Formats: sequence, structure tokens, C-alpha cells
Amino acid sequence: MTTDGSSGETVRTADEERAWSPEESLAVIRAQHVEAIRRLSVDPVPILGMWGVAWLCGFGALYLASAEGPGPFLPTWAAGLVLGLLFAAAIAVSVIQGVGRSHGVEGPSRRAAAMYGWSWTLAFAGLFAINLGLIHQGMPTRLAPLLWSGSSLLVVGLLYLAGGIIWSDRVQYGLGVWTLVAGAASVSAGVPANFAVLSLAGGGGFLVAAALGYARAVRARRAQVQL
Amino acid sequence: MTIDGLLPPLDPVIHAQPRLRVTVALAALDEGDQITFPRLQEIVSMTAGNLSTHLRKLEDAGYVTVTKAHRHRTPVTYLSLTRSGRRALEDYTAALRALLTAPEHQLPQESSP
Repeated sequence: MTTDGSSGETVRTADEERAWSPEESLAVIRAQHVEAIRRLSVDPVPILGMWGVAWLCGFGALYLASAEGPGPFLPTWAAGLVLGLLFAAAIAVSVIQGVGRSHGVEGPSRRAAAMYGWSWTLAFAGLFAINLGLIHQGMPTRLAPLLWSGSSLLVVGLLYLAGGIIWSDRVQYGLGVWTLVAGAASVSAGVPANFAVLSLAGGGGFLVAAALGYARAVRARRAQVQL
Repeated sequence: MTIDGLLPPLDPVIHAQPRLRVTVALAALDEGDQITFPRLQEIVSMTAGNLSTHLRKLEDAGYVTVTKAHRHRTPVTYLSLTRSGRRALEDYTAALRALLTAPEHQLPQESSP
């Protein structure tokens, strides 16, 4: 467009200072916006997906290891190991995502994200203290699995409700509601069916949320292209 | 840069690709948030020298706030978009859209003789 170099206009020393067509400029805005969002915002899909797999396989293994269920198909220690490893992996994915994306950013949103992250640690520390206290006070041990599954799902559900409120995210809020329902259902199911509820309803909820999150990301990318 | 027509003028501060990209990247932060220089550099993929040159121009225009702080005795530079910077980007994007829908589709740089 500036082919007439001798027009006496402002001298543009570098290519970057040359005139850009509106199309080019809009394309630059679009590409840089997508790149900035990709690098700065936490992607919920791998987090939800990993937790879905951890719940589905981990609690599925516990159900299959139970002597009162259809099995046992595997020893309890093996099921416990599967659950422990998968949960450790899911925690690692969540922390790496959360810390990596907010690295180098300061301000209100970073503070809210850090407080939300610590809420998980604090809530589960409280849950452990209360449950171990109840068991120590002489709660019948046959009820322990129901206490753990019911109270864990209650805490997870509440934290997802909170996440939905903070980031105005319907998928997270919906997952929270679903998890509360699954928690109540796991207690009424009794042992060992509670593990099947945790595996299928709990893990399934995460996987559905991951799929919804992925669909939303694809839609957002398409809308961005049509900007 | 100005044009005496119906077409809106384009802000010369951000109508240069590197500064436009820096502005867009900073606009992706939530209001009130700021970002460190190296992190911004990573997002816009520019050399440190290039980025600071353009940041200075944006700061001079009042579009970017540069805050120097110390973290564990190491100096850290934080950057954020000012309100007028955010508005400038919105106006610029609106002007581009107006240009695209303008019947003649002419560029504001090519001022008629």
C-alpha cells in the first residue's frame, strides 16, 4: 500500500512501522489475544480429565477389591496403590497448571487464584482432622468408608460451587451440584456400592465437565476467528 | 496520519505491530493485574531490547504503567495497561472495523492529495 516511497510521508524506518491494512491489524489482534489467553489462563480440561480418570479408576479399583462386592478381583493394597498414584498425578497436574499459568502475574486475580488453591488443602486438612477424630472417638469402623466418601464429596462439591462463583463458570458450578448429589447417593448406597458411586458418578461427573469445557474452548476459538 | 474524511483515524501509537501486540497481550490481564517483564516477553515473543523500546513509547502515551519493585532483593519490573490504554485498544479495534465496512475501503495513511 505504501509503494510510492517518495510521497514525502513520515519515513518508516522498519517494516514493523509500515502501514498495516485493517485486515492485517485485526489478524494480529486476534492471534495475539488467543496466544495471551492460552498462556495466561488455566485450562480446566486436563485438570478435570485427570481427576475424572483418577476417580473412575481409583475408586473403581477399591470397589473391585472389596470382599463384599462382586469380587474381590484384586488385593486391597493394590487398589489403594492405584488410587494413591492417580490422585498424586491429578494433584500434580492441577498444581502445575495453576502455578505455571499465573507465574509472573500479580494482582487481585492472582490473589483469588492462590486463595482458591489453598482452600483445597485447608478444606481437606479439616476433613481429615474431623473424620480421624470421629473414628478415634469410637465411631463404628464399618461406617468409616461412608464417612470418607460422603464428606470428601461434600467438600469437593462445595469447592466447585465456590470455583463456579469466583470465575462465573457454569460448568464448574454444575459439577459442584452434581458432586453434592453423588456424595449423598454414595452414603445411601452403603459399602461397597459407595465406591461404585464414587467411581461412576464422581469420576463420570468430572469427565462430563472436561468434555463440556473442551466443547466450550472449541466454540470460543471458532467465535474468535469470526471476530 | 490524519484523514479529513468520514473514516476514523487510527491511533499511531498502537498502529504498529509490536506495540499493538503488547497492548493486546496486556489487555488479556484482568483489570488491576500486572505482569513481569520476562513473562510479557514470552507471550509476545520479542527481544528484551525491542520490547523495552516499545514499552517506553506506550508508557509515554500513557497507555502502560511501569512499576519497579523488589522481590527477594531482585529488581522486578511489572507492567499493566492503563484505563486509557484499554480504551485506546477498544477505539482502535472499532476504527478497524469501521474501515473494513467503509464503502471505499481506503486506508487512512493514504491521504488523498
